[in-house]
Amino acid sequence: MEYLVSTLTFTGITLIGVLGVYMVTGLTGLFSFGQAAFLAIGAYISAVLYKSLGLPLPLAAFVAMLVGLAAGLLVGLPTVRLRRDYISLVTFGFGEAIIAVLNNTANVTGGAMGLSGVPQRTSFSLVLASVIACVAVVISYKNSKYGRQCLALRNDELAAKSMGINVERLKLVTFLIAGVMTSFAGVLYVFYTTYVEPGAFGWVISAEWMIIVFVGGVNSLTGAVVATVLLTGLPEFLRFASEWRIAIYCIIVLLILNFRPSGIFGEHEISLDFLRRLFRKGARTA
Amino acid sequence: MTLQLLINGISLGSVYALIAVGFALIFNILKFSNFSHGGLMSVTAYIGYVASVFFGRYIKALPLFIVILLAAALGGGLLAIVVERVAFRRLRNSNSSVIYYFISSITMGILMENSVTIFASSNFYSYPSFFPTSVIRFGALSVAIPDLLTFLFSGSSLVILLVVLFRTKIGLAIRSTSFDTATAKLMGMDPNRVVAATFFASGVLGGVAGVFLGINYTLYPQLGQLIVKGFVASVIGGLGSISGALIGAVLLGVVEIFLIGLVGAGWSPVVIFVIMLVFLLLRPRGISGVIVQEKA
Amino acid sequence: MSSLEAKGLSKAFGGVKAIDNFSFEVGGHDIVGIIGPNGAGKTTVFNLLTGIYSLDTGQVFLDGKELTGLPQHAITRAGIGRTFQNIRLFRGLSVLENVMTAADPYSDYNLLDVCFFTSRKRRREHAVRDLSRHYLKIVGLEGYEKERPESLPYGLQRKLELARALATNPKVLLLDEPAAGLNPSEVRAFIDLVRAIHDQFQFSIIIIEHRLEVVMELSSKIFVLNFGKLLASGTPAEIVCNKAVTEAYLGQEET
Repeated sequence: MEYLVSTLTFTGITLIGVLGVYMVTGLTGLFSFGQAAFLAIGAYISAVLYKSLGLPLPLAAFVAMLVGLAAGLLVGLPTVRLRRDYISLVTFGFGEAIIAVLNNTANVTGGAMGLSGVPQRTSFSLVLASVIACVAVVISYKNSKYGRQCLALRNDELAAKSMGINVERLKLVTFLIAGVMTSFAGVLYVFYTTYVEPGAFGWVISAEWMIIVFVGGVNSLTGAVVATVLLTGLPEFLRFASEWRIAIYCIIVLLILNFRPSGIFGEHEISLDFLRRLFRKGARTA
Repeated sequence: MTLQLLINGISLGSVYALIAVGFALIFNILKFSNFSHGGLMSVTAYIGYVASVFFGRYIKALPLFIVILLAAALGGGLLAIVVERVAFRRLRNSNSSVIYYFISSITMGILMENSVTIFASSNFYSYPSFFPTSVIRFGALSVAIPDLLTFLFSGSSLVILLVVLFRTKIGLAIRSTSFDTATAKLMGMDPNRVVAATFFASGVLGGVAGVFLGINYTLYPQLGQLIVKGFVASVIGGLGSISGALIGAVLLGVVEIFLIGLVGAGWSPVVIFVIMLVFLLLRPRGISGVIVQEKA
Repeated sequence: MSSLEAKGLSKAFGGVKAIDNFSFEVGGHDIVGIIGPNGAGKTTVFNLLTGIYSLDTGQVFLDGKELTGLPQHAITRAGIGRTFQNIRLFRGLSVLENVMTAADPYSDYNLLDVCFFTSRKRRREHAVRDLSRHYLKIVGLEGYEKERPESLPYGLQRKLELARALATNPKVLLLDEPAAGLNPSEVRAFIDLVRAIHDQFQFSIIIIEHRLEVVMELSSKIFVLNFGKLLASGTPAEIVCNKAVTEAYLGQEET
């Protein structure tokens, strides 16, 4: 039972990170290798502030998210006005830079040995509440002028600009929100696992999250949620050896790319409309 | 002393140039960022190692080194062709949007890196030393032999590539296709062949780079993430320009050596990242980058 | 009632001078046409006006306010709307959403409203939705709201482009070959539609068209471009009689 709760907790934290990727990659079409770096920022800043400075947890979390915001600005401002590839290249370098910072500030962060002794303050209910809140925000974002304009600019940036959409600002805003949300996930993460080390925040994590979004269907929020549960939760339940888990992800993706590129859910979302149709169909066959 | 550092820097820069140009080739021709290149370099680094073990029984020193380079280069080229076939050909034929190329290349990269992890995980391997770590003196200058050979072999690989690109028929085909695939097709060039040739060339460069990285940094599965140097070089030099990638890479190598002297190897990724940001703010198109004007 | 003034526009690509010192104006409630042989630079003019290309020399004024050098989205919001020659609709969105994205920049709510599900967001969203439906109705796309633009027949896609451009609330509307690919009855319907829209809204229209009947019928003034230069300008009647114009299109008479 405890194993179930722990897996669900971990899945929930991952889901928040994936939601960030959904906003940046799914809605806006940017490929950021830096999401894991925001996770690291959230984790380390909050943990260090809590342990070394004795800040109360909510304040430490808040500051961590602010730092995430600042980092997002630093990386995002010069890059959003450039072509799409730049944000990938720059966020990759950003991720490496953050890991280097963490490795080299051993007196504060524990360096490559990692930071331990963080008390466990994250409960399953906290994660559940956070997930619900974040999903709600992302749904609201998607069904708003922000979401639509993001989809438009992802589709055809030139036409979007010609329709009056401030493409640069929108990219930046989306990137920042995702960064802050992922930093928050980092706070939840470190106060759950009680130990972090820089190597856990490499670009492969960001890439894994992008893969999850893609498997679920890059246009579908529901898909992102379902895919997270499937790809994170299931292997844990089935006690997969972690080395093969990644290889299996990749093979799934390659299969999907070749045979069902729109992902599991494609364009569809679970909506009231969809559920209504589902029930009506079921009623008719009854 | 400074001149010494400069020489070290140029030598390191030549390896970075291999990475950057391998990446830039695909970017120029096929207009997407091939994120699997890092994974390829990880694999070829190990191919080189396997070759060194296998051939190391019969030959030593410089001949062994050359054989390893050839093995890695060939392995890299062939692997790249396979990658293209598996990951990108279908996308190309169905004219998919860029997003699918991103995902596909990332996935292939992770898969390649992961396969190295699975087969070589807990053990640390390293290349045997090929040449004496002595120096050659040029007047007041002493150049370490490894640096000199690195520069020579990387430089030659690049020169060979440029010769192929600019003096052979297939090179011409590659360059024409980079401008306009449709017209190139109409002129009788088989795009599949051209694309395969491009990937082969990119893989060869990646293979040679992999060996040098393996020598310089010892062998570990995540070696491929040094592709970030190629990214930074491309940003500095300008995306879309092969000469830019070259210049950016050499500059990066030189700057990095000086930085290591100043702040230590640990902090250099941070400083390099900052330099990249500064470049983006001041000269976003890089040193010789081209701004492509989108048509309405 | 708005006036757009373009003075001395020039643009070169590499060694080729695409536009050479082209000036024109459209004022009041006019409809103006730009015609010229293929490659004359007509679309380039639109791209310069809307900020897609940067001007080498020249200035653009809308109601006296200078638009030169502003970013694209700012130029659009200042009041220049356009359609594209090669239809550029947003494929991931529905027909209704395509129009909504053009109206969205004017929708007045912020991120806090999004995060906290305020009633302000709900109200604005309703308003945008209704407004967009209204524009769809005007162009005759009522009932197609949930469709995907790719699944629409060509003629309807052109109408959607028009509806989307209307939603940007333009003072001057640029139509780039809006009748291309339409059959004769569709062209007829299209001419009527443009006239209806022009009567209903108070903006000026600039049309690039190859179909001369469209331009002749709708415009009060025509500018003829050839090799990026202004060849002639005048009323439709004058242009039709202009020898230089016919030569540019048909070549010189053999003597």
